[in-house]
Amino acid sequence: MKVIINNIEYEGLPGETLMELAKRNKVNIPNLCHKEGFEGQGRCRLCMVEAREGNKTKIVSACVYPIHDGLEVNTDSEKIRAMRKNIILLLLLKTPNNEYIKKLAEEYDVKAPERYMDFSINENCILCGLCVKACEKMGTSAISLVNRGTGKKVSTPFDDPSKDCIGCGACAQVCPTNAITMTEANGVRTIWNKEFKMVQCSICNKHYTTEEALDFIESRLGNEEEKVCDTCRKKIISEKFKESYKNIFGQP
Amino acid sequence: MASRKILVCCGTGCLANNSFDIYTRFLEKLKDTNTEVIPEIKATGCNGLCEKGPVVKILPDEISYFKVKAKDVDEIVSKTILKGEIIDRLLYFDTNSKKKIVSHKDASFYKHQHKIALRNIGEIDPKNIEDYKERNGFEALRKVLFEMTPDEVITEVEKSGLRGRGGAGFPTGSKWRTCSKYDNYPKYVVCNGDEGDPGAFMDRSIMEGDPNTVIEGMIICGYAINSNRGFLYIRDEYQLARENMQTAINNARKHGFLGKNILGSGFDFDLEIVRGGGAFVCGESSALMASIEGNVGEPRAKYIRSVEKGLWDKPTVLNNVETWANIPPIILNGAQWFKQIGTEKNSGTKVFSLVGKVKNTGLVEIPMGTTLRELVFDIGGGIIKDRPFKAAQTGGPSGGCIPAEYLDISLDFDNLSRIGSMMGSGGVIVMDDTTCMVELARYYMEFLSEESCGKCTTCREGINTMLNILNRITLGQGREEDIDLLISLSETIKDASLCGLGKTAPNPVMTTLKYFRDEYMEHIVDKRCPAGVCKNLTSYSIDPDTCIGCSACARKCPVNAIEGELKKPHVIHKDKCIKCGTCFTVCPSGAVKIGGGLIESYNK
Ligand SMILES: Cc1cc2nc3c(=O)[nH]c(=O)nc-3n(C[C@H](O)[C@H](O)[C@H](O)COP(=O)(O)O)c2cc1C
Ligand code: SF4
Ligand code: SF4
Repeated sequence: MKVIINNIEYEGLPGETLMELAKRNKVNIPNLCHKEGFEGQGRCRLCMVEAREGNKTKIVSACVYPIHDGLEVNTDSEKIRAMRKNIILLLLLKTPNNEYIKKLAEEYDVKAPERYMDFSINENCILCGLCVKACEKMGTSAISLVNRGTGKKVSTPFDDPSKDCIGCGACAQVCPTNAITMTEANGVRTIWNKEFKMVQCSICNKHYTTEEALDFIESRLGNEEEKVCDTCRKKIISEKFKESYKNIFGQP
Repeated sequence: MASRKILVCCGTGCLANNSFDIYTRFLEKLKDTNTEVIPEIKATGCNGLCEKGPVVKILPDEISYFKVKAKDVDEIVSKTILKGEIIDRLLYFDTNSKKKIVSHKDASFYKHQHKIALRNIGEIDPKNIEDYKERNGFEALRKVLFEMTPDEVITEVEKSGLRGRGGAGFPTGSKWRTCSKYDNYPKYVVCNGDEGDPGAFMDRSIMEGDPNTVIEGMIICGYAINSNRGFLYIRDEYQLARENMQTAINNARKHGFLGKNILGSGFDFDLEIVRGGGAFVCGESSALMASIEGNVGEPRAKYIRSVEKGLWDKPTVLNNVETWANIPPIILNGAQWFKQIGTEKNSGTKVFSLVGKVKNTGLVEIPMGTTLRELVFDIGGGIIKDRPFKAAQTGGPSGGCIPAEYLDISLDFDNLSRIGSMMGSGGVIVMDDTTCMVELARYYMEFLSEESCGKCTTCREGINTMLNILNRITLGQGREEDIDLLISLSETIKDASLCGLGKTAPNPVMTTLKYFRDEYMEHIVDKRCPAGVCKNLTSYSIDPDTCIGCSACARKCPVNAIEGELKKPHVIHKDKCIKCGTCFTVCPSGAVKIGGGLIESYNK
């Protein structure tokens, strides 16, 4: 399948979305709600591009647009650039104090009219939905997007501590704008209004996950997990790698 | 004399005015009245002219009574039923001809109408399947099952040129055709009865007043596309519609029109009702399907259309209630008959709900291509108090407004979108010179910002930002640059939003900016609201040369801000005035003038 993006031809795979094709080929299409391995959502609208079909030009969102043979795409027309700036402007008005969004605005040279900026707004969430997707992927689905219009937000059912939440922190990790508060003190993690007792790494003693999260993974995998944090796990792997390297190629 | 019928309107509007009491009173009264032929009494669906209801019609005499009360029943029976006398007091007063009218059919409100989708409403008891059958009900179904192939059915619908009545005007036949080509079973047939557009009630009227026609239309489609299962998605608040629909489904099953082996043809089809999710956006096709599947009613991208992957990812035909109601007559009378009604690319009729500042408000079904002027002045009877027509908003909250210079536009899908508005579900709100167009746009943005599902940044934040800008303009804090920002945001919201709600949301602002830009500038530059609606931008004063000193204003002013001796010019004390506008309305000599805002009240 041939797809042309900004006058360069790429080979598309069947079933791919335009965003997947672009990412695979390192073509930059700005976006906030897409992540490899996650299904496209079409929420943030930053990935809008111009797609030519026959002699019609349509504006489509790349993260959910299925490619087809002969598709021609322009990711950087004047229209698209103006649109992008407006979308970033809207996000800036919503989260005027968020570092990530402020940087994005700077990068795209977006300045909001002074009198429309309300710096007393302490919002950080841009409603990209990635946290909800991450939680869904974990198999927990403890949080979801609720309400509509500007009242939309991510929350646990009725904002109560959720019985499904295992405190794994996948949501906080995936959040592009650092909008999810997760605090850790004295071996206790607090997230989504719920407190979790943490587990220590058997190697470095660091508190690295919650008991519930460990139980959840064990029950999923059906065997007992070693209590090793990510940093130590990586170290062990790279040690092992070095070992085998040595065995194969001898001392460097 | 042919058997007499008394039809009592029991549509939602008339029911709210106790029309059911009228119905039961007739039943009681006639039980012990000695007439040779006891008339049949029927509770029917809506007659369209709700404002003048409850409506009682007597057939075949063709006598129509309006604003009837239960206590009028005895008199109707003793005079009209027994003696054939007409009760003058209950007749309809036609504002166009300035005459009282005996048969509603002669009223200008009804005279210009051409009823296809509404053909049975007000004429039959919707809960009685025999009534429907008497008026050719289920004959179209019989015809397709025994005389037509599925392909022929689709061709007939294609040839009729019928376009979806739910808003976008997509050709119905071509939708069915595409769906029929997919061999991915089971397929589904869905009726969109969500009707979220405030002020529109044609779909409710059809579901309440003639549920069988919707059912018949859907079974015909099922046969045409080879589907055996359908869903009726009905707006949460529409309890009576759901009840009548359910009764009709049950009766249709009993009579062999639904279920297995319909009328012995070997074709199976059944229907069930789904209660709506209670949000405006649930009427959008992909949100509606998500809602039927039990998920949150959030739209999804439709790069793959629902005729291929709809409900549960199976091929699905979704049509609007009014679209379904057109199917049986098209099949029975043929595509040719339908095509010669309306205009070339917009065949048939459209039901409009006419509301706002017109003398006659209600539901009207008129051929496509009827002009806005005919709708407002001939059918609607013109503007209340004969004030000037200023604009009409068509297409619901995300439609656009049409100024007086386009009064002669013929109403159809293409013409309306050409001038920046749209057909939508057929809502028409008429406005006179007391409407502020900036406030109007602000009001719709407020509605849409609450109804946006909040999924896309552009729709959720964009509409809200436009609303903030408009709020400031109506408060007197607008700047000229605001207009540029409004236009730029409109473009982005229109192009980048996912579903039709976002894509059309800027319409009210774009059309008012296009046709009433001066009014925006008056708000922004002169700090004056010419309609006297935006309180910060309005002040009232009395022109001493015109004032006749009648004191009408001073008597009505709720805060006693007006002083003056009888027969001498009066004065408004601005420090006391709350800008309610009462003086402006009551002054018989037009001496009260609307001025700009007081400097202190804006530009904080
Ligand atoms: C926000 C939104 C709300 C809608 N609401 C309705 C509705 O209440 N009823 C309806 O029939 N169509 C509604 N539609 C249009 C439907 O998406 C769809 O186009 C229609 O039901 C198809 O039927 P038709 O082809 O017979 O018109 C809405 C569309 C949008 C974008
Ligand atoms: S909390 Fe973060 S990840 Fe979740 S929706 Fe908001 S911005 Fe996206
Ligand atoms: S355009 Fe608005 S209503 Fe439609 S999906 Fe986006 S946010 Fe929801």
